[in-house]
Amino acid sequence: MTDVTLKINGETRSAAVPPETTLLKMLRENFNLTGAKLGCDVGDCGACTVIVDGMSVNSCLMLAAQLEGREVLTIEGLATPDRLHPIQKSFEDCASLQCGFCGPGVIMSSKALLDANPNPSVAEIRDALAGNLCRCTGYTKMIEAVQESAKAMRGRKSERVA
Amino acid sequence: MKKRGRGIACMWYPIGFTVAANPSAAVVKVNEDGTATLLTGTVETGQGSLTVLGQIAAEELGIATDDVHVVSADTDTTPMDTGAIASRTTYVTGNAVQLAAAKAKEILFQVAAPMLGVKPEQLEARDRKIQVKNYPQRCIGIGEVANQAQFVMGQPALGSASFNPPTVALDPETGQGKPFATYVYATQIAEVDVDDETGEVEVLRIVASHDCGTAINPMLVEGQIEGGISMGIGFALQEEMLFDKNGKQLNPNLTNYIMPTSLDMPEIEVDIVKNFDPTGPFGAKGVGEPTAVPTAAAIMNAIYNAVGARIHSLPATPEKVLAAIKAARAKKLAQPKVKALAKPKAKSRQKRVAAR
Repeated sequence: MTDVTLKINGETRSAAVPPETTLLKMLRENFNLTGAKLGCDVGDCGACTVIVDGMSVNSCLMLAAQLEGREVLTIEGLATPDRLHPIQKSFEDCASLQCGFCGPGVIMSSKALLDANPNPSVAEIRDALAGNLCRCTGYTKMIEAVQESAKAMRGRKSERVA
Repeated sequence: MKKRGRGIACMWYPIGFTVAANPSAAVVKVNEDGTATLLTGTVETGQGSLTVLGQIAAEELGIATDDVHVVSADTDTTPMDTGAIASRTTYVTGNAVQLAAAKAKEILFQVAAPMLGVKPEQLEARDRKIQVKNYPQRCIGIGEVANQAQFVMGQPALGSASFNPPTVALDPETGQGKPFATYVYATQIAEVDVDDETGEVEVLRIVASHDCGTAINPMLVEGQIEGGISMGIGFALQEEMLFDKNGKQLNPNLTNYIMPTSLDMPEIEVDIVKNFDPTGPFGAKGVGEPTAVPTAAAIMNAIYNAVGARIHSLPATPEKVLAAIKAARAKKLAQPKVKALAKPKAKSRQKRVAAR
């Protein structure tokens, strides 16, 4: 067994897992964080996307042991009990998800993009979402939602400055 | 060199098959707080059908969509449904929901009529009230009427109904008849760039004009159309199951079975045609599958328009498109008569260029 201590959604957590355990498996089975989905398990579909130290990653392609001392943000870390994250709100307002299986991954890829680039072009949004496969929506309303949430988040920041 | 082309394709698609039993059923119950509960056997898979069914019940009862609690796909409690298939839910299940809500409303009218001193047929359900037609100030809240129905009249406001598109037998000799209850129509136009050195096709823009009867929820209709177009683009250019000679699939994973990503999607313009089908719930028909039907054909026509090559098997991979371009060129060169005829034309074009 390998001992791992890491920060998940701002909270320090520890687990003892077999060395071949992936980050995805540890999130889902040790910490009951089932937002990140197991789709293909080989890094093709992006349904397991989470943010590690500011970078969006396929959690099925990282070993849990690689996470020692690092910081992970999952879809569960976005909303508060009484408020959706602006990206989640835009996805809801724009009807960007249909079956929703790809949703947590798409939203985490969007979050990583907007943290690094608060005003992305459509081409940059398409590029950021290229690793997340969606069979239902045709991505069009997702791209709209990322633009809308970028606007909302920029607005909030300028309010805070003022 | 990249060559641009445009192609157009039209389709019709049948909604509500009639050759076999195709029923849906629904139960609508109006509660004493003015809300309603809808029981339906259909399955929500993200297409938004439960929203649409809730909207249909709400419209019939004169309440808000938020007032309708939809219970679905529970074999313990909900009536059996033929299924979320065949683009039938809005039309077939929607009709069942509207009929069930109308029956519950009929009870409310019978109960409210003596309370308002009018006949039931003089009443209408609007703005969460049962009111006298043309005299909206003479009204009672729908919850109060439901309460009166339950606790005073002993006749709870609930309705159940089923809808099965009327079955029409096909003529055994001619094969003629009416196999479907209604039809939807659509046209899509594709604009593509084809690289005539590599055969690579890029879809730049798709304009999709769809008839679905009344669009009960236009935002969901847009979502269906955009999703269908992405599936159509995959069908046209990327998606192919490959098998070895023993029938084993060679690409049983998303690494080798290529489907559209956000980078493959063109700009999409959706146009919802205004239409009304008198046999549908509030004039609605359906929109699911038809959205993916004309896309590949429009893209193939656009490829022909761009480079003069006809593609006869899907997907139109760069290899196939390049081979078709080369074949079209070879065919042109192999026709000396056409070439001879073309000569004076070429000359005149040269002259025109020289004159400029």
